[in-house]
Amino acid sequence: MNEALINTMQINIGPQHPSTHGVLRLKVDLRGETIVNIEPIIGYLHRGMEKKAETGNYLQYLPVVDRVDYLSGFFCSYAYINAVETLINVEIPLKAKYIRTMTMEMNRITSHLLWLGCYLLDLGATSPLFYTFIEREKLLNIFEDLTGARMMYNYYTFGGVKRDIPVSMLKNIKTFTEEFPKAVKEYEDLIANNPIFITRTQRTGILTKENALQYSITGANLRASGINKDLRKDSPYLVYKNLDFNVPVSQNSDSYARFTVRMEEMKESNKIIKQCADFLLSDEKDSEINTKINPVSIKPNGSVLSQVESTRGLIECYVEADGTNIPFRVKWRTPSFYAVQILNTIAKNQLLPDLMAVFGSLDIIMPEVDR
Amino acid sequence: MMYSFIKPLKELAKGLYIVLKNGFKSDVTLMYPEKKKILNDNFRGKIKYNKEKCIKCRLCQKVCPSKGTITIDKEFIIDFSQCIFCANCVENCPKGALQITKEYELASKNKKDLIFKEEIN
Repeated sequence: MNEALINTMQINIGPQHPSTHGVLRLKVDLRGETIVNIEPIIGYLHRGMEKKAETGNYLQYLPVVDRVDYLSGFFCSYAYINAVETLINVEIPLKAKYIRTMTMEMNRITSHLLWLGCYLLDLGATSPLFYTFIEREKLLNIFEDLTGARMMYNYYTFGGVKRDIPVSMLKNIKTFTEEFPKAVKEYEDLIANNPIFITRTQRTGILTKENALQYSITGANLRASGINKDLRKDSPYLVYKNLDFNVPVSQNSDSYARFTVRMEEMKESNKIIKQCADFLLSDEKDSEINTKINPVSIKPNGSVLSQVESTRGLIECYVEADGTNIPFRVKWRTPSFYAVQILNTIAKNQLLPDLMAVFGSLDIIMPEVDR
Repeated sequence: MMYSFIKPLKELAKGLYIVLKNGFKSDVTLMYPEKKKILNDNFRGKIKYNKEKCIKCRLCQKVCPSKGTITIDKEFIIDFSQCIFCANCVENCPKGALQITKEYELASKNKKDLIFKEEIN
């Protein structure tokens, strides 16, 4: 018998590997080409986000929060700001709530579009990356005009948002929402029934309901396993109560199911953006966008846990305050950290070429894993 | 049996047709060094300092997330190699002595070029 089929061989994938989207090292034990065991080694992108909070005041930590997850900065920003606002008992104006909801959903679309392009690039399809980036660019241009930066927004502030959205920009956003479904249809025509894509993703990387719950998987990965859990519906924050949208769920629990759930999520986000833009266009008189507070001299007391349903799942931010203007402790719970741990369970006994097809479908981003 | 063989081929052809169709669309990118993007006034680029307006209150130091970026002593120093361009200092300056500009091409061969200095009386 061939020696390679009896003994296991250990190889390293990463830390510098184009498909790991960051610096993740996977120690893979192989028997032939079948994966026996995977050990993810994380920590290469650790920047001390939690410790950093304890060295400055509440406002100084705010721009850093955008870097926890650089593809969807608004969610982390919201989680932290919501925690501090709860501690100091500030109610934000309705218009600011709508602006926050709208920008967060736009951020969800940009993040999913990048995931879609890169995932297909990992599987060997080069063209979809360019098509997804065309739509993503439109949204990033809106973000740049609104916030001043393309990815590190620093747009939310304690008590509201920093700038008002001009009417011309709202009209741009509405035009985008009308064109976007056509673009999604084009991606689906291009990829959803492609035989190569189907062969590589269907019936691979099966994440069962039990495993998903045991490993605390959240977000689209959980919903692709047939569990209908979404914080936006379960305990609505901001203005999600007033909005009409569905939560896409799939029962197939394979890589293809995760793809379909994310595609549907983009359509639902588009609906939410449209409703928010309609509200903001009709609401001209109410021009309050923030409650005026001095952000430097915030001195809260107590502790709070703030949650938000982000692109990749449930983000939690725990802030403990001790009455000074410096946070005593800030703790992040980020969904990608949990998604990395499931890799050994779902990619075991599959072929090595399928590993990146499974890994990519989980939508893991390394800065969020390591913080 | 026959149909199961034809359908994947049809889908592949459909995909190729979409790729071909996109080849005739107009450009969406800019030829960067020759053509540049028109930036909004909100764009957070290099920070400009106005000596006349500054009252040395040091609030810009207190709100800066990247410590050691701004130093105020006999002279006002911003180290753009450490700055993260969050514009916290600009927003919190009580006298408007700091302003954001649209300048973003700061690459330099010498690190000292990135340190901005101006004497304060």
